[in-house]
Amino acid sequence: MNRTLPMKDRLRIELVVRRLDYALDGRVPMARRKQIRNELRSNLIEAAQQVGAENAVKQLGGVRALANSYLELYRGRFDFKVGSYWAIAAYAALQALEITLLIAFQAGVATGGSHTGTYSFQFWDGFGPFSGSVSGNGSSFVMLMLSPAHVLLMFVAFVIGSSYRTVFARRRT
Amino acid sequence: MAENGAHDSQLLKGVLSLALLRLLAERESYGYELVTRLHELGLTEVQDGSVYPALGRLERDGQVTSRLVASSSGAARKYYRPSAAGYAALAHIELAWGSLVRALEPIVSRPVPAKPKEALT
Repeated sequence: MNRTLPMKDRLRIELVVRRLDYALDGRVPMARRKQIRNELRSNLIEAAQQVGAENAVKQLGGVRALANSYLELYRGRFDFKVGSYWAIAAYAALQALEITLLIAFQAGVATGGSHTGTYSFQFWDGFGPFSGSVSGNGSSFVMLMLSPAHVLLMFVAFVIGSSYRTVFARRRT
Repeated sequence: MAENGAHDSQLLKGVLSLALLRLLAERESYGYELVTRLHELGLTEVQDGSVYPALGRLERDGQVTSRLVASSSGAARKYYRPSAAGYAALAHIELAWGSLVRALEPIVSRPVPAKPKEALT
């Protein structure tokens, strides 16, 4: 039986294909992902024409299990998705540390007595990652959102995050 | 443990390559067609999601080759067939399978006692 699928079924199939693709994103080379997408879409359409889209998707099993099988087969040397998570985590950690330091700095300025003017602190002048200033009465502060040091540390985190699995796997063997 | 003649999925996983290569040696097929052929043979526990990556593995290992063929459903079908290495692998796996079955047959054909005998001391 070969029938045209209704829009709802085609959308259901496309959703599964995209969910799988998302799981492989940044981990499997793009050309290979495209092949996997096209083949899966073709097979799901064939299956949906025979048993309906809902059963076709059900017969596939879990998308996560399928993604893991493909990852075992085609995982690239670098995991860019994990690398980007590490970079974001490094940025968040830096900003949290900066806020903590600034609050401590502000408290220090405030307890030092009544002053006018602005007090500032910086590590690595002009490079970051921290460059804060607190006004004399301790009521406001400014912190650096992005600096060359932020970028460098995020890049280092990205490289470590995206390659640690490869390094770790190599050490285990 | 499988019941009512159903097949153990772990056992099936181990011999899926053999089944796929054997079916492809009989007739060039695409992924979903292979799934239906396996189901028709009674292997209904085999999920589509285990067949597609298994085909990818065979292709990566050079045991099958593939070609795209336009289909009336719109998306092109990817047809697989065994390569020379695939035929060699199939012969090797069939030999290993036959040998394993012969080795296991005397064990599994014995009646299971209600209770194991005491250990020899």
